[in-house]
Amino acid sequence: MMRSPLLSFFAFLFAALCVSAVSTTGNRVLAILDDVAEKAIYSKFLGDLEGRGFQLTFETPKSESLALFKLGERVYDHVIFFPTKTKGLGPNLTPNILVQFLNANGNILQTLSSGVSTPNSLVSFLSEVGIELPVDRTGLVVDHFSYDTSSAADSHDVLLLPPPAPIRSDIKNLFSAGAAKDQVLAFPRGVGAVLGSSENLTPILRAPRTAYSYNPKEQSEVVDDLFAAGQQLSLVSAFQALNSARLVLLGSAELLQDKWFDADVTKPDGTTHKTFNREFAKRLSAWAFQELGVLRVNWIEHRLNEVGGSNETNPGIYRIKNDVKYTISLSEYAYDKWSAFSVPKNDVLQLEFSMLSPFHRLPLKFDESHSSPEASAYSVSFKLPDQHGIFNFKVNYKRPLLSNMEEKNTVSVRHMAHDEWPRSFVISGAWPWIAGIGATVTGWIAFCALWMYSAPPADYKKESKKTQ
Amino acid sequence: MAPKQRNTAAVAASAPSAPVTTVPIPTTTSTATTAAIKSSSSKQAASNTQAWDKVFNNITTHYLKTTPQRTKLLDAFMAFLVVVGALQFLYCVLAGNYPFNAFLSGFSATVGQFVLTASLRIQTTEANKKDFPAVSPERAFADYVVCSLILHFFCVNFIN
Repeated sequence: MMRSPLLSFFAFLFAALCVSAVSTTGNRVLAILDDVAEKAIYSKFLGDLEGRGFQLTFETPKSESLALFKLGERVYDHVIFFPTKTKGLGPNLTPNILVQFLNANGNILQTLSSGVSTPNSLVSFLSEVGIELPVDRTGLVVDHFSYDTSSAADSHDVLLLPPPAPIRSDIKNLFSAGAAKDQVLAFPRGVGAVLGSSENLTPILRAPRTAYSYNPKEQSEVVDDLFAAGQQLSLVSAFQALNSARLVLLGSAELLQDKWFDADVTKPDGTTHKTFNREFAKRLSAWAFQELGVLRVNWIEHRLNEVGGSNETNPGIYRIKNDVKYTISLSEYAYDKWSAFSVPKNDVLQLEFSMLSPFHRLPLKFDESHSSPEASAYSVSFKLPDQHGIFNFKVNYKRPLLSNMEEKNTVSVRHMAHDEWPRSFVISGAWPWIAGIGATVTGWIAFCALWMYSAPPADYKKESKKTQ
Repeated sequence: MAPKQRNTAAVAASAPSAPVTTVPIPTTTSTATTAAIKSSSSKQAASNTQAWDKVFNNITTHYLKTTPQRTKLLDAFMAFLVVVGALQFLYCVLAGNYPFNAFLSGFSATVGQFVLTASLRIQTTEANKKDFPAVSPERAFADYVVCSLILHFFCVNFIN
């Protein structure tokens, strides 16, 4: 009796905490659906988003009021495209507007489905960032070796994949960390894409080696001309623009539907597994909407690192060959809080000291004395090069799945003042020459004394008198 | 310097025999020695060294006899400077030229002092009197002292 109000109060606090957790760039989400009633089949996914503090707005492409910009400002921070049957998306969602949306730091989560052909506008927009879809704007990825026998026993189009591991060993494991060993990702009736060579593109999930993509309408009898096969196919792709705006292309919209969240699936070998879809959908949307993999520079400090030198922070001028210490403090965002950023195991955070080209490129080491649970500091001490001019302390850290970071601090490096050189008597190598001057001068003084005291010969005196 | 050298050479060559100042005599002696070399090749080396010893002896005795006291003093000082300069240069060759400004100032102090001393010698030599009618030996020495002081000042500053 007494407990229930208290409990509800705590529940309210907890809910408030959940709501306060929000993306680093904003919480206004626009979801575009064919029919607003369709959102019921994605209720768990959308509910998760709302639980993380996003405000959802639902629109259809036909809607008159639909606009991504108003008076030149973004109206929404993030956009989700669910599959729509319309061929075009209308004048409010042209590829140009979508690119502008990315340029204005908006994020896009786009989903495809093999049952629905992708609108022209989105195909052009994707080719703009270097993602290529099957020619006929529809395709189906199948794998005859790992599919769900319970739901796709004949068509083999519900792929069962392990939770996506990082594509490279120096990338953080954002998507499969913490997944149970027997959990699989169900990828029902999806479309695979082929990625261009842009360094801003990252495949989050590649198709297994035995998968291929074909056109179920035209190639239902004989599959001859494949769009792509095996690891060429990217089932979930990420694009991060230079301004760190993100675009995620999810090949299967069905993956987000309630029926695949925590469902039971059966592999061809007869083993039954729980799906990882709900957690994956959460992480994928969190990455797309700037809740994961977001870096922040808290502060940058460089100073003279010499005994008896000035203690000024970030001075505008140094001298050549000065000993200098550079420290940068970084934090990484995860869902609701900033925490210390730790550089992945095989990766290195580097500092460049550059004028046109780098004179130094040095690894930054973790500096515990300036770190806290919320921020980690990285520092390096080094000697400035023997070259005066205008230099930059530059940290250029651009990694897949982490927001781009490029920090420049400009300083002047002056040459030695004439009284800053070491004196000759300090350098032992100069002593013989100092002795040489000493010998010359003392010899000269002795010579002058002897000269003045030595009497000139008598006839010499006479002659000089005569001339005078 | 040049006319003086020519003088001493002529005097030294003529010194051994009679005090004759004409040119042909050294040439006749040289032909005589060549004749002696031709006649007996075994005595060649001995007579050669004897001849050179004679030449050097004559030069030194002549120098000691005819050079004024102050000129001898000048020569001694210049020889000292040559030794000091050679030592500094040798050190630079053997041990490297770091710090280079120290080498430059040390070496140039010695060389400069040598040049100034040589100038003083030219101006105070009896034989050059007619070239410098307006410069008395006292004036020459005063110039020398001022120039030397300026040189030392420069070198001490430059070595830092």
